[in-house]
Amino acid sequence: MDIVNNVKSSSHRIRNSIATLVGLVFLAGCATNAPQDTWQPRGDNAQVINNLQWIIFPMAGVVGVLVFAFAAYTFWKFKDRGQPIPSQSHGKPIVEIILTIIPALILTVVGVFTFRGIFELSNTEDTQMVINVTGQQWWWEYDYPAQAEQGITQPIITSGQLVIPVGTKVLLRETSRDVIHSYWIPALNGKKDAVPGRINLLRLQADKPGLFAGQCTEFCGLSHANMRMEAIALSKEDFAKWAANQQKAYTSPADGTLAKEGEGVFLNQCIRCHQVNGLKKADGTPALAAPDENVYSGAAPNLSHLMTRNTFAGAKFDLLNKTCRSDVWDASPEAIGAKYLAGVSESCLNATDLRAWLRNAPAMKPMYSDPTKLGPSGGKYRGMPNLGLTETDIDKLVAYLLTLK
Amino acid sequence: MATNELPISSSQSLGAVRRPVNTKGWREWLFTVDHKKLGIMYGCVAFTFFIVGGIEALFIRLQLALPDGRILSADKYNQMFTMHATTMIFLFAMPMAAAFANYFLPLQIGARDVAFPRLNALSFWLFLSGGLILNASWFLGGAADGGWFMYAPNSGPVFSPSNGVDFWVLGLQIAGIASLIGSINLIVTVLNMRAPGMTLMKMPVFTWMILVVQFLLVFSLPVITVALVLLMFQRSYGATFFDVSQGADPLLWQHLFWIFGHPEVYVLILPAFGIISEVLPTFSRKPLFGYPFVVFSGASIGLVGFGVWAHHMFASGLGPVSVAVFSMATMAIAIPTGVKIFNWLLTMWGGKIWYSAAMKFAIGLVVLFTIGGLSGVTHAVAPSDTQQTDTYYIVAHFHYVLFGGMVFGLFSGFYYWWPKVFGKMLNEKLGTWNFWFMVIGMNLTFGPMHILGLQGQPRRMYVWTEARAGEGFFNLGFWNMVSSIGSFILAVGVLFFIINVIKTTRNKERAPLDPWDARTLEWLTTSPPKVHNFDRIPVVHHLDEFFHRKYVEDETTHVMTQVAKGEDLVRAEEAAADADIHMPGASYWPLLLSIGVAVLGMGIIYGTPIMVVGALVVLFSSFGWVLEPSVPEPIDFDSPSHDGHTKEIASLG
Repeated sequence: MDIVNNVKSSSHRIRNSIATLVGLVFLAGCATNAPQDTWQPRGDNAQVINNLQWIIFPMAGVVGVLVFAFAAYTFWKFKDRGQPIPSQSHGKPIVEIILTIIPALILTVVGVFTFRGIFELSNTEDTQMVINVTGQQWWWEYDYPAQAEQGITQPIITSGQLVIPVGTKVLLRETSRDVIHSYWIPALNGKKDAVPGRINLLRLQADKPGLFAGQCTEFCGLSHANMRMEAIALSKEDFAKWAANQQKAYTSPADGTLAKEGEGVFLNQCIRCHQVNGLKKADGTPALAAPDENVYSGAAPNLSHLMTRNTFAGAKFDLLNKTCRSDVWDASPEAIGAKYLAGVSESCLNATDLRAWLRNAPAMKPMYSDPTKLGPSGGKYRGMPNLGLTETDIDKLVAYLLTLK
Repeated sequence: MATNELPISSSQSLGAVRRPVNTKGWREWLFTVDHKKLGIMYGCVAFTFFIVGGIEALFIRLQLALPDGRILSADKYNQMFTMHATTMIFLFAMPMAAAFANYFLPLQIGARDVAFPRLNALSFWLFLSGGLILNASWFLGGAADGGWFMYAPNSGPVFSPSNGVDFWVLGLQIAGIASLIGSINLIVTVLNMRAPGMTLMKMPVFTWMILVVQFLLVFSLPVITVALVLLMFQRSYGATFFDVSQGADPLLWQHLFWIFGHPEVYVLILPAFGIISEVLPTFSRKPLFGYPFVVFSGASIGLVGFGVWAHHMFASGLGPVSVAVFSMATMAIAIPTGVKIFNWLLTMWGGKIWYSAAMKFAIGLVVLFTIGGLSGVTHAVAPSDTQQTDTYYIVAHFHYVLFGGMVFGLFSGFYYWWPKVFGKMLNEKLGTWNFWFMVIGMNLTFGPMHILGLQGQPRRMYVWTEARAGEGFFNLGFWNMVSSIGSFILAVGVLFFIINVIKTTRNKERAPLDPWDARTLEWLTTSPPKVHNFDRIPVVHHLDEFFHRKYVEDETTHVMTQVAKGEDLVRAEEAAADADIHMPGASYWPLLLSIGVAVLGMGIIYGTPIMVVGALVVLFSSFGWVLEPSVPEPIDFDSPSHDGHTKEIASLG
């Protein structure tokens, strides 16, 4: 009896300690909020992948343990202890055949699941919303075509953060204006390259409101490391509010304010590349940016409603200061919508980075924007040049940009 | 003198320039066509590039040890990782395998040299030219910065305006010619020059694997050459092969690159598989378990290796059908690879294992490669790969395969064959230090990269940021630091090897002729072997011929009885030396022709006049080559038979 009990209790102990260990590893996995963790799916597509990961990783682990246990035993057992030279056997075909068939069977099982996963992820038939995503050195442009069912009656063009409604099957139509980039929000789906001259499809769907980090993952030149992205999922109501705000008409700052002077600076300098929808020149005609004449990729971020975003310069820098930023990032799924929709107020603005950027952008992010070295790109910039703005100009511009809500 | 009886052929009088007369001192090396000298030179140059590539890797790890690293600028970092990979693959791994192949393949098949000795020299000098051109870019305006995969259109003249990519394109084309010539040479050697009795299925596995690799090279190098020529025309002559605005599809480059690039992976690993397939049986005192299975799994890895290239492109938008097919093919390749691992383990099973340094490294390969193989299966599952590709998880995977696999295999080869090549034993104690530092360093460097990748740290980023690092056990900060520290431990491991080499070189003690109780023909001659390799061409009756000349197995009791010592067998061969051994003479032309090709290549960057000069040198040396007298005039003859046992005369080269 004692023996039985002992065996029982020790097997309990073993089971308990294994459970604790697994739990600890699992907890450690959850406690790490590395924002690009590939094991924390937050939507259907990423979940499909995660289910496959949970098949293949443990399987590889078990095979590994078995092989290493066998190897370790062999290394120990057949160490030279003075035994005679063994018979020169050249092997047994039956063993070979068994050892070929077993891995083949395991891989067939994995293959079946993989096959299913691939086709499940490629399905785009029941798409509910379309966003055109365009990569260029070194930022992403998001272009929401008019789709009445999502409250978008005129196209929205934005950058810095992808905004999507929760529980909606969103189809990204990806392309690029220069080199190959790759769009990756690990919590929502795997990567898909943005290839110039092609349109690649990637489906995203978020289960709950939240902010998700991502990063360009196809090497795209000098500032590849600085080409980040963020996706924010909002509740359907909040998304409708966001979309309505993005389609709101432009209002010029009141005359006599610093912001109004800033609008003048913008019309002098920034408008060459950056569009603000609805902005008018002093003579009342529409002010149209011409990035195609100045930038190699032919595009620069559209700055309409800039202060509704949390990031700038390819999501490398935050528009929100540290406190306000963590306030949004750490918000609960219920609260994040309202916080995000509040946009960037003057007190929350990360003025340090924004001013430094306006002062000398290439010093903040490596780019090909030295005007003396534009020969290979036919005189066009790849990235934002140093505009030589005075501190007064910067004051005015910041005041103006703060009005772009 | 026997030389007086030489038949003077009419071709002799056609010689434009005489063959080198004085082949002593440095000339001995510059004009040599001896496969062993070329092998040693391949090895020395490749090891130098290993150090260069290693230093580049240390810079990378220094930069990434802390967030927002400032050791390197973005531009320099991009050059650094591009050149690290390019150097390690094309200038270290391939030529180091070529070093082993050059030296040991003729010895293992009982031949006196390769089929085309002058072409062999040309291969080496072209490889050196290519390597020097690639690295010259560091000092001539910056190295290539597009990654070793050099994806279009980022490699185009607009996106990579420095000359770095031009140097890269030219260096690789020239090194590619070297490999292509070498592969044809070795295929002919294996197929035509095996000793009597050595059927293909009695060939040592190392030779088999090298043969498979040469076929892979013959079929894959033309593909990368096409891609490189297209890129060269785009960059230097305004062609638009990868210019999207002109209707090009940038995925063309990816397909061309990976149709070469994936077989290339097996080009890198199979020689190491071959090496340990010699080492494991020798130190287990057993033949390789399932020899035909190991051979055919190697061949099928090579074959299937041509059908999996698009698994490097799972995220590029191939469409679900292509992805599914390539996903399955990739899983299939795990089967023959698994067969090899099982066979190695079963070779040791029932053996009498001697844990020499060579054996330690071979076992290191088996274990570390298995880890790399298992992580490889996790991204054969295409959807799972879309989370892993272009992250550090992939970096971890292929460093386990290539460092844990290939490099450990090569080091195993160093320890195993050093006494054969130099007649001296590497120090076993230092070898053990060498091994353990490399094992620990390698696991500390590349192990944490699994975590980094699964936590979402992408590759090829010159900085990582605290904001994306997370907290807790898996945070990027801690593991990046561990990885960087590991890389220096690894470097110390390599340093132990260098110290070992220096110590061994100074040591006067000669190695025994058969220090490992070895199994294959290369041990049936002196160490180092004479110019003509074998005093008498051996006649082969068995797989592992040398072993079976030493031991006889009782058919009923299976007891092994030693009937001869390796040393005595070697002496017996010397006593029965062939008369009049014909060896090829030295030649100026391989070296001169390579210089011409290098200058020609530089002309593509620096203008037509230089190109014309290079072309003239190439033309001149080609004529010189063709018209070179097949036999030196008797008066020129410089007998290499200083050992006094045999008389040698030069013959067709």
